[in-house]
Amino acid sequence: MALNFQYPFQCIQFVERPQAKLLLASAGPRLYSYSAETGQRLASWPQDTSSSDQEPPEKKRKVSTAEGGSVEESETAEKTEKSKAPPAWSNIPIVTSTSNGEYVIAVTGEDKCIRVFQVQDDGSFQQLSERIMPKRPSSIALTSDETTILCADKFGDVHSLPLIPSNEKPAVAPRPNREAKLSHPAATNLTVHTKGNLRALEQQLELAKKKKEAGEEKSGPSFEHHLLLGHVSLLTDMLFVSLPSDTHKRTYILTADRDEHIRVSRGPPQAHVIENYCLGHTAFISKICVPRDAPEYLISGGGDNYLMVWNWTEGRALHKVPLVEDSSAAEVVVRGIWATTLGDLRLILVALDGSSQLQCFTLEADGSLKPQTPLDLTGNVLAVTSIEKDNTLLISVDSVRTAGSTNEWRASPSAPSILLEAFRLQQGTEGSLGWEPTLQSATGAINAVGTLEIAATTEDKKRGELNDLLYAMSKLRKTPRGGEDE
Amino acid sequence: MTPPPAKRQKRDEYRKQAAATNPDGGSSTTTTNETSLPARVKLPKKKFYRQRAHANPFSDHQLQYPLSPAHMDWASHFPAYVNPDPSQTNLIGTRQLLKDVEIVDIGCGFGGLLVGLAPLLPETLMVGMEIRVSVLDYLSTRIQALRAQQQQLQSTQASTSTTTTTTTTTQATADAVPEAPTTEPTAMEAEPTSTETPSTTDETTETTEATTLVPGGYQNITAIRSNTMKFFPNFFAKHQLSKIFICFPDPHFKARKHKARIVSETLNAEYAYALRPGGLLYTITDVEEYHHWVLRHFREGEDAEAVDGAVGTVKELFERLTDEELTQDPCVRVMSEETEESKKVTRNKGNKYVAVFRRKEDPAWPA
Repeated sequence: MALNFQYPFQCIQFVERPQAKLLLASAGPRLYSYSAETGQRLASWPQDTSSSDQEPPEKKRKVSTAEGGSVEESETAEKTEKSKAPPAWSNIPIVTSTSNGEYVIAVTGEDKCIRVFQVQDDGSFQQLSERIMPKRPSSIALTSDETTILCADKFGDVHSLPLIPSNEKPAVAPRPNREAKLSHPAATNLTVHTKGNLRALEQQLELAKKKKEAGEEKSGPSFEHHLLLGHVSLLTDMLFVSLPSDTHKRTYILTADRDEHIRVSRGPPQAHVIENYCLGHTAFISKICVPRDAPEYLISGGGDNYLMVWNWTEGRALHKVPLVEDSSAAEVVVRGIWATTLGDLRLILVALDGSSQLQCFTLEADGSLKPQTPLDLTGNVLAVTSIEKDNTLLISVDSVRTAGSTNEWRASPSAPSILLEAFRLQQGTEGSLGWEPTLQSATGAINAVGTLEIAATTEDKKRGELNDLLYAMSKLRKTPRGGEDE
Repeated sequence: MTPPPAKRQKRDEYRKQAAATNPDGGSSTTTTNETSLPARVKLPKKKFYRQRAHANPFSDHQLQYPLSPAHMDWASHFPAYVNPDPSQTNLIGTRQLLKDVEIVDIGCGFGGLLVGLAPLLPETLMVGMEIRVSVLDYLSTRIQALRAQQQQLQSTQASTSTTTTTTTTTQATADAVPEAPTTEPTAMEAEPTSTETPSTTDETTETTEATTLVPGGYQNITAIRSNTMKFFPNFFAKHQLSKIFICFPDPHFKARKHKARIVSETLNAEYAYALRPGGLLYTITDVEEYHHWVLRHFREGEDAEAVDGAVGTVKELFERLTDEELTQDPCVRVMSEETEESKKVTRNKGNKYVAVFRRKEDPAWPA
């Protein structure tokens, strides 16, 4: 039997439930939960219904408990007729959870759907809601009370939605003004004059009359959602931050876009008040990070070969941190910036697209980033999560592409594929940081079971599509175009 | 390959010449006496700078924009207002100005508003922003020409009154032989002696601009190519502006194009950011529906959401000016009568809808 590749983990997140320590992960179209201690797979969603892994699962939503299903029925009733079809998505690019790990929010790719799951004691996922957004979400954040989801999308808007949609809410949500529909054309013969335009207007008037007779046309999402703010640019990342102030907590929404802006807005209900901008990048921004233990600093990165550290409440750049030694080297795309505190060290970890190195920095008191020995992995770093109590990092790596490349596949799959690696910070070594492999039985178990298979014989076109799903950010770079721009 | 059509060729030649005869600056800081000014600086002709009325605001274009407001080279735009202390530079090392830009015309088109406002607020720096290349070319050339004309008038005036002022302008007299003869009509060649008497003969032609010495000498206006929907905060710092004008914006009639409108709930937050409390945002349109759109997005209980509309939306940052206040504001008159588009609307007997909003203070942080 020919060996196949395994879908790598696109997102991983460690959560500590009262009963268990879990690792949540998405790979390909699936969401998985594992025991973080043993590596045993507890559940996958959507559940397998057929024996073949290659076959798309039949059920979109499977509830593990009977009474949970009834709540759901009414809300997703309109969707059920579609559930026979294969999943409308091929990847799950965003997975996040409440701090207690009870609720997981996942965004499925192509169908632009925000799904909220309740994680059961046995680690299984019970889907509570699915809400299809008007535009593809690019980042999800929770407000500090963890009752509201903020969703930043590729259209540049940030919407808020309740984590748990209330049942009493009528189907008609407040409509954003922008989408207010007109029953008749806005143009009149006072505003358009040319022959062609007048003819078009005539047609529009006729069409509007017909539409009025035919009844209402379709409108946007029917669930409760509010437009909080918007950029005229693709949003790439968003954070919700609350800062202690003299009297009350102040909350902020930080949004980053493709046009090099980081905007600092107040949190809802004052998201329309812009406090300032952090401007200093010359290429798109892909990730922003505010360390939980040093919320006065913001670290940002993207298509530039450096990170920036900001005093973001003042919009002031503090430090510029080089990411590559040779600045003429290939174009840099920051894949992720993670902040974690291990022991008494505030660490900033940075992964670049198509790099098997996880760069490590310590965040100093003045906000500067001190480079530490990087971690070398067996494949491109995709995602990082930390178990702070154990001084441990879990790192998902790409076992499909060769280390150092975002498009070149390995000659042959290895058995088992290495999907996950774990390292523990070594204490005691003076000055520099050391890492030792840890949790080998757990990662071994996860790697042995694997995820979904990708046929080793996948043809180039399909390979390219899979590459683009996993390494999408480089597409954001603006290409200098020749010719006249008018 | 076929050669470019004759029309385009002619246009390119004209523009090249126009740019050459009005070298950048034309200012008091650069050496004006190295090339004696042409006897009569001619204003560019609009017909060589036409461009279709729409530009896609979501496209990248090939825009130049500063990294941040502190990286903006304003000195080259306002040479008359450069800080005389050369050590005062901004983050990219260009000279700083004595004052900040305060007024912005978003989508300034051919610049009628700026030219109209310039003498009205001679000490206030204004910038027009326009996304269309050709239109911007025209306006830049026009402003350079206007400045040069003013300088000429000033120098001839100075020489006729024989008071040796400290101005270092050349003694290039106005009766020098006109060079580079073009097909330009000579209508604008006003008598330099008639400078004191404002000519009111022909308001509609641009040629009147050459005849009178205007306060500020058009040194206070400039134009920049930009996409304000994306890059407004790159140019202007928080609360920097006292007035923003949005005149006859592209109506984007189709509902699915409404995100491309220059007025929207989300963009208004950016205008509020750049506008200081007490600052004014002027709008005028000939499309009634757009007028209601503007009202809906800034103020007014005209929409169904009025109940909760006042809290938690950008509307709480603006209040509408009364009609009485509007009549007292000369900017409103300029906006409704002197912009190219307003003249066109008048010609076509269309309606004009004006709404002006005052930026309120930011609300207190929620308790």
